[in-house]
Amino acid sequence: MGIKHFCGSTDHAISRRGFLGTAAAVGTAAFADMTGLEWLSSPALAGELKKQQKRVILLWLAGGASQLETWDPKPGAATGGPFRSIKTAMPGVHISELMPKMADRMKHTLIIRSLNTKNADHGGGAKLMMRGRRDEANVKFPDLGAVVAREMGRADSKVPDYVTFYTQTEGRGMAPGDAGFLGSRFAPMELTTNNMPENIRKIDGMTELDHQQRADLRDLLSQQFAQGRTSPTLGSQNEAYQRVRGLMSSEALFDVTKESDKVRDLYGRGQFGEQCLIARRLIEAGVPFVRVARAWWDSHGQNFETHQEMVPELDYVMAALVDDLKDRSLLEHTLIITLAEFGRTPGINPSLGRDHFASAWSCSLTGCGIKPGVYGKTDATGNKVAEGEVDAAKLFATIYSALGINPHKNYYLGSRPVPLVEPGTDPIIEVLA
Amino acid sequence: MANPEKLKLVKDIPHKAITFAIARVPDSARVFLGCSDFKVYEADITAAKFEPKELYAHESYVTGVALAGKTLVSGSYDQKLTWFDTESNKTVRSHEAHAKWIRRVVASREGKTIASIADDMVCRVWNAADGKLIHELRGHGEKTPHGFGSMLYAAAFSADGKHLATGDKVGKIRVWDVATGKALAEMEAPVMYTWDPVQRLHSIGGIRSLAFSPDGKTLAVGGTGKIGNIDHLEAKARIELFDWRASKRLAEYASDKYQGLVNHLEYAPDGSWLLGAGGANEGFIVFLDADAKKTLRGEKVGMHVHDVASSEYAETLIAAGHNKLAVYEMKS
Repeated sequence: MGIKHFCGSTDHAISRRGFLGTAAAVGTAAFADMTGLEWLSSPALAGELKKQQKRVILLWLAGGASQLETWDPKPGAATGGPFRSIKTAMPGVHISELMPKMADRMKHTLIIRSLNTKNADHGGGAKLMMRGRRDEANVKFPDLGAVVAREMGRADSKVPDYVTFYTQTEGRGMAPGDAGFLGSRFAPMELTTNNMPENIRKIDGMTELDHQQRADLRDLLSQQFAQGRTSPTLGSQNEAYQRVRGLMSSEALFDVTKESDKVRDLYGRGQFGEQCLIARRLIEAGVPFVRVARAWWDSHGQNFETHQEMVPELDYVMAALVDDLKDRSLLEHTLIITLAEFGRTPGINPSLGRDHFASAWSCSLTGCGIKPGVYGKTDATGNKVAEGEVDAAKLFATIYSALGINPHKNYYLGSRPVPLVEPGTDPIIEVLA
Repeated sequence: MANPEKLKLVKDIPHKAITFAIARVPDSARVFLGCSDFKVYEADITAAKFEPKELYAHESYVTGVALAGKTLVSGSYDQKLTWFDTESNKTVRSHEAHAKWIRRVVASREGKTIASIADDMVCRVWNAADGKLIHELRGHGEKTPHGFGSMLYAAAFSADGKHLATGDKVGKIRVWDVATGKALAEMEAPVMYTWDPVQRLHSIGGIRSLAFSPDGKTLAVGGTGKIGNIDHLEAKARIELFDWRASKRLAEYASDKYQGLVNHLEYAPDGSWLLGAGGANEGFIVFLDADAKKTLRGEKVGMHVHDVASSEYAETLIAAGHNKLAVYEMKS
């Protein structure tokens, strides 16, 4: 596939050295102060980053957005609801009229309309759709963000590998970022109350010089202590300090006021838009995986009113993200995923709501070389998958493949090989570049 | 005269679609239905076998049907109004009347004026005879305080046809002078709008029904109370009464028994009681005294009720809703 990623291979090590060499040419001062994206101003460095690293922005539609009001409309069917479908930039592909901006951008997006994931419970569904598989009795699997952090993150990174925004309280506890057996090194930086990470600022009264000198002293003592010792714990300890320093200097990445009014207006000034703008800033700065959770879509009552309110926001924010990434030549390296724990029932309940439904629902993949269009099909009422059924494992195999990660790769728990996806699962080859 | 104490269910009529709006031909058993299958039907509710006849179709949910003499006017989420001659069974005109979903169509009692409301937040007043636009009534905010598109759900004429009330999602009510198109009064029922900034980051609720008392002095406003879990409609059905000329709230009724939206309000012809109907997963009909201080009668209905059509003296009520019609009588 030719997509490079950090897998520990010799090839990648060479590539990584190349990257570090380029970074060195930009100057170590750039890493000392990452209060913005200035360090990316070197075209050579930015270009190198773009070539090497795939990124993921997961738009987590928490609570379960309706496929019928987004990606798989059924106008005129008894189950179709009131919204019309509209043409898109892809001939023959129609989506909900609530998404006119994404309709114009469908040449970048693949809709998978044939998810059958069989778990219509918020907690169980969220776990499954964040991991691609169910935990075993003695194995807690890492979620997508943790795997991407593990595979795409750089050991010397000054930015976090996995950031997740989930501001609303509903459903948050059911869909936490979780590194599973990969351990806390790949756990997410979770932002729940603020768009700015908490407790990463220097304490008041400490100067930059003082802070640096303390770090230098700690490094000196560590080096002396490490002489003649080969414990991996020591390396881990030092790496942790490096990362903390990196995180402290990455605060500005979370500050949308660093962007122009024009860009901020493009995303809108709402919470979801601003978090997606931060996500773009983060992936541009090298963060491999960002999840922006937009809660809460669980429309048991008044489904159409809820979607009338929330889908237009998803539409313009996602369109802004696509445009912005494209303008920055990042879209071909960045995969935008819309996903949830499940979709919603075709049947409309007496409260004009739709309930939980995991048997025939949709997600979307945009960018990163994914072939645009539609994969899979539901029947006329949306109750069943008619063609191209995709389960969670197949979806994750496809996502990993799009990112250049071998889905059949094994991790090892002791001596036990643990494949990334359920054994025997292949990606959807037709949608991969 | 109709007596709520005598209310009894006469007939349950299953219907394949959700009926959002019903209009009754005076002194007859003929009704017109606006439905979720995008169709407008004519039906005889006394027929041994319920066989609604399809008259024509819109391109989305039909949410308003109003009868002005022999002219039926329907409105739909397709943004169109269709004018239909019920004698010749022909469509007179169909036109894009609003820029967003039409939520309701109402006719003045004497049948001269039609009003349509939509999520473009405009109430348009039409001459029922020729379909000409008389007024565009603007004043309801297009956005909620939280930046999302608002919705204009409810409209009602006063009995004399001189005044028109409109109510929106965020709980704002306006009363208009039909002759001049001027706004005469503004009121608020903010409890009927729930915005959840912490758990779910979206909203629910809104003013769903309005009715003037027969003397025109009091305006009844229907919706639902604050909702804790906005995934559902589980809040107390709510009615507020206003002295609209003084913009003063007179009474608040929050049902201890019934949950959901009050989608229909209607005063007794003599003003002695106020009927509210609506629902969530189930439905209800509730009769309050004219001051909304006391419940005279309440009845669970096995469907979410979206609209009610009554006979001239309200001795017969036809509740229309989720896959069903229910016919009630309450003759003294």
